[in-house]
Amino acid sequence: MADWRDLAQIALNGLFAGSMLMLPAIGFTCIFAVLRYPNFAVAGFATVGAFAGWLANAQFGLPAALALLAAFLAAGAIGLLAEELALKPLRPAGPLTVAIASVALTILLENMVRFAFGNDLRGYDLPILRDWRFDGIRVSPQQVENSLYAGAATASLFALLAFTRLGRAMRAVADNPTLADIKGVDPDRIARVTVFIGAGLAGFGGMLIGLDTSIDPLTGFRVVLSVFAAAVVGGLGSIPGAALGAMVVGVGEELAGVVLEPAYRTVTAFLAILLVLMFRPSGLLGARN
Amino acid sequence: MDAYITAMLVFAGFYALMALGLNVIWGLGGMVNLGLVGFFGLGAYASALLTTKLLLPMPLGWAAGAIVAAAAGAGMALIVARLRGDYLAIVTLGFAEVIRLVASNEIWLTNGTDGISNIPGPWRGDLSPQGFNLLFLGLVWSAVAIFFVLLARLSHSPFGRVLRAIREDEDVAAVAGKPVLSFKVRAFAIGAAVLGAAGALYAHYNAYIAPEGFAPLLTIYIVLALTAGGVGSMRGAVLGALFLIALIEGTRFLAAIIPGVSPVQKAALREGAIALTLILLLRFRPQGLIPERTRTKAHA
Amino acid sequence: MMSAGIFSQVRLLHRRRDALRCTIHEGDKIMSFTTTRRAALVGTASLFAIGGRAMAQAAPITFGALPPLTGAGGPYGPAMLRAIQGVVAEANEAGGVRGRPIRLVFEDDQTNPDAGVRGARKLIDVDRVQALMGTWASSVTTGVAPLCWENRVPLFTVSGADSITLLPHQGYIFRTQPNSRLQIATGADYLIRQGARRVFHLAAQSPFAQSSQDTLVEKFRAAGGQVAGYIVYERDKTAFRSEVDQLLRARPDTVFLNGYLPDVTILLRELFRAGFEGRRFTPAYAVNANTFATLPNEVTNGVITWQPSPDEASPAFTRLKTRFGATEVDPYSAQTHDHATLAILAAAQALAGGAVPDAQLGTAIRDNVRRISQGSGESVSSVAAGLAAINAGRAVNFDGASGPVSFDERGDIQGTKFRYEQADGGRFRLLELI
Repeated sequence: MADWRDLAQIALNGLFAGSMLMLPAIGFTCIFAVLRYPNFAVAGFATVGAFAGWLANAQFGLPAALALLAAFLAAGAIGLLAEELALKPLRPAGPLTVAIASVALTILLENMVRFAFGNDLRGYDLPILRDWRFDGIRVSPQQVENSLYAGAATASLFALLAFTRLGRAMRAVADNPTLADIKGVDPDRIARVTVFIGAGLAGFGGMLIGLDTSIDPLTGFRVVLSVFAAAVVGGLGSIPGAALGAMVVGVGEELAGVVLEPAYRTVTAFLAILLVLMFRPSGLLGARN
Repeated sequence: MDAYITAMLVFAGFYALMALGLNVIWGLGGMVNLGLVGFFGLGAYASALLTTKLLLPMPLGWAAGAIVAAAAGAGMALIVARLRGDYLAIVTLGFAEVIRLVASNEIWLTNGTDGISNIPGPWRGDLSPQGFNLLFLGLVWSAVAIFFVLLARLSHSPFGRVLRAIREDEDVAAVAGKPVLSFKVRAFAIGAAVLGAAGALYAHYNAYIAPEGFAPLLTIYIVLALTAGGVGSMRGAVLGALFLIALIEGTRFLAAIIPGVSPVQKAALREGAIALTLILLLRFRPQGLIPERTRTKAHA
Repeated sequence: MMSAGIFSQVRLLHRRRDALRCTIHEGDKIMSFTTTRRAALVGTASLFAIGGRAMAQAAPITFGALPPLTGAGGPYGPAMLRAIQGVVAEANEAGGVRGRPIRLVFEDDQTNPDAGVRGARKLIDVDRVQALMGTWASSVTTGVAPLCWENRVPLFTVSGADSITLLPHQGYIFRTQPNSRLQIATGADYLIRQGARRVFHLAAQSPFAQSSQDTLVEKFRAAGGQVAGYIVYERDKTAFRSEVDQLLRARPDTVFLNGYLPDVTILLRELFRAGFEGRRFTPAYAVNANTFATLPNEVTNGVITWQPSPDEASPAFTRLKTRFGATEVDPYSAQTHDHATLAILAAAQALAGGAVPDAQLGTAIRDNVRRISQGSGESVSSVAAGLAAINAGRAVNFDGASGPVSFDERGDIQGTKFRYEQADGGRFRLLELI
């Protein structure tokens, strides 16, 4: 018989799950806001970040925080490289073409990781801690740590956007690229920085997922639908929206797992996307078009 | 060797049908559909179930496959037709996954992950394996020919012209008094019908279908095929399908001769090469082998 | 047709050669095959062992492998393929099948019946394989099976779905994995013997999730216990906290983790975090050496696995372990090792009775598998020993690395034992073998 504790547990699980979706969703939204196309390769960037972090941690012995930084930098670099080589030249053809190329890109990245590392599952060289219990509610220290990292990364991004010249330039380009151009903001430079940050956040998020589970070439691909759902539900183009959307999707999926069959979790993501786009296309926090 | 080549040409036929269907939805209608494999799977399951459980004759099964997929397509279009292209991509991507999940879990209906075996094929028991192969080769490419002619006509018809006008500029078309949504829904339904027919034929060729066989990768393959052939061109769809099967199977032989890499690495190289080909195509020959002649007039 | 004289000449040539070490790179692992006779391994796609002029002139016998190198089965495929390659190399060193070298060709099935069928068609129609082995996913096996029996190519598989051996395969399917009903029933019996009375069943979506549940319920009810809960999850799942919540609420004494490597690895971690103290029971293919590398020992200690097994001191199993290095041999690789051996010995037995045209060799292999794997012949556990005995005209009974490999008339394994092992400090300790 469910009591408030069971619901609280579900909500808590959902929030933690959402905090792991948050960073790839924010990365996706950043790129969408500034460059105006959906970059499906965030799945690949997440996987790349997870493996880069693993190398840093398991092979070079770095602690988690530094390994996360490595994940961010590596994913950002790969994202930037991919953008310059593969996606940027396609921009004149329209956002749809770039989107399709980004799907192919994510498959390419997955197989590059498979080429380098094989299919075996890998775990980080970090202790696994027992859960804390508060009046029957289970909380995992790892998840708390992950949420803190995710929160810190998100806060840093907000700070960047709100208080730095770079951030203001990014927001200007996102709001109105023509006006920003007139005002002397270099759109190419902003695009590059955005892609680096967006891909880097996705990689950071990928490693967080890996910290909680384990990593293999399919790591990013498995969460792809939920990440998009988060971005869409929050409002494509709105970064706070992506964070909120991730929480909504996270909790929604947990609820669905309990109410429906667990096997239908992914359906929730799809339904969420569908419902939002049908009834409130601008998402929860509004979007740009 | 000939059995293999025949079989690969049969697969090319399925891909050609799928590319034709995609061409109606995307090439003519301007609506990207990344859920292709979902409609393909719907058609396959509809036909397989009707012919194995209800013992309906095959042609009815095939027709049912097309109709079920068309209904789903119309339904989906009603919901999403107003969406911008890239939003549509996200939504349709999820649709195929949902179909696969339902097929995996609703064991009472679809036999779950065990799949459906013993799907009948026309004269399968009476012919040798290669004989059946050749028969099906004729069958599927006849279907390609029929749909090709019908869809080419459609493309040139007033309906096709309006679709293309909507694709170019929806607002103008709406101002001109065209019921945009109705056209889009019809285009989606027609394309989905072709996809469903392809799925039905696929089920009866292979005699076995399972949810695992309808992977999102197949959608990417068909997008690649149509891009290679030329989005908007019916001939391009068919040529693109042939290009696709050559690429998928050719990389198999190429990967085999690369020295010094492990089997897993070969497999990764092969999949990666196919993805890379799409990116290169989009980059260097986005109009495909047979480009649409002008933006407002497409030759089949 | 090779006469005994040429064969002994070849052996004479071999004895004069020095040891030659060949290495094959597998990702970032380097595996050595030490050959004490002169054998060169050319490429990894097709293995030819050129053991002297006599054999190089004979037409090769081609076998095909269709393992999952990508997709959901990706964690398993490479090791399965390595096991087959090892047997083929060993057989070629021993002179091949009556002087004919064995050539192995493989294709990735991508854990997808659509890709698997295309790969099988290529192997059967282009490479003209005489036997196909190493299919893993039940859907792939079911998809390629009709191609195999229509083209008279025997299929050796590890897939567990019960429906596979019920297909009208005319004897062309040999399944080395006990069918799931038998496997689950035996596992349930073991658990009940250990005192389990409340079992929670966590299953990955698969063709045998439901039949496993039915068997569990039947067995536990009969023993006065119950199945305290049953959850089926999507294989790609990475978050299991709610499922573990439900499990804890049900207070089971045992949890049955009926899944695969990726999901069970995460589940073990979650169970540890949740402080689950009960018994953890899982198929041996879900926890392997890689799990020990991914998870700390404190998480894996105490996990009980079970798998079909040869007799305790099976030389085949021991040699396979040596060949794989320090890693534990997973059940699938043990089976594919046997696939290759069965096919090779059956071919040798078929050809011992006189030349067989290639077009009929597949059928001849099918007809000889039971002859060399069960019955009253001399017991052999390696392909080299088996070939030697068959060439000398003696009957053999091959006992493999995965069990005595005897098949009933449907192609299912029979008379196999099971081994129960417990994870302890990063290794498996044998608990029981019955």
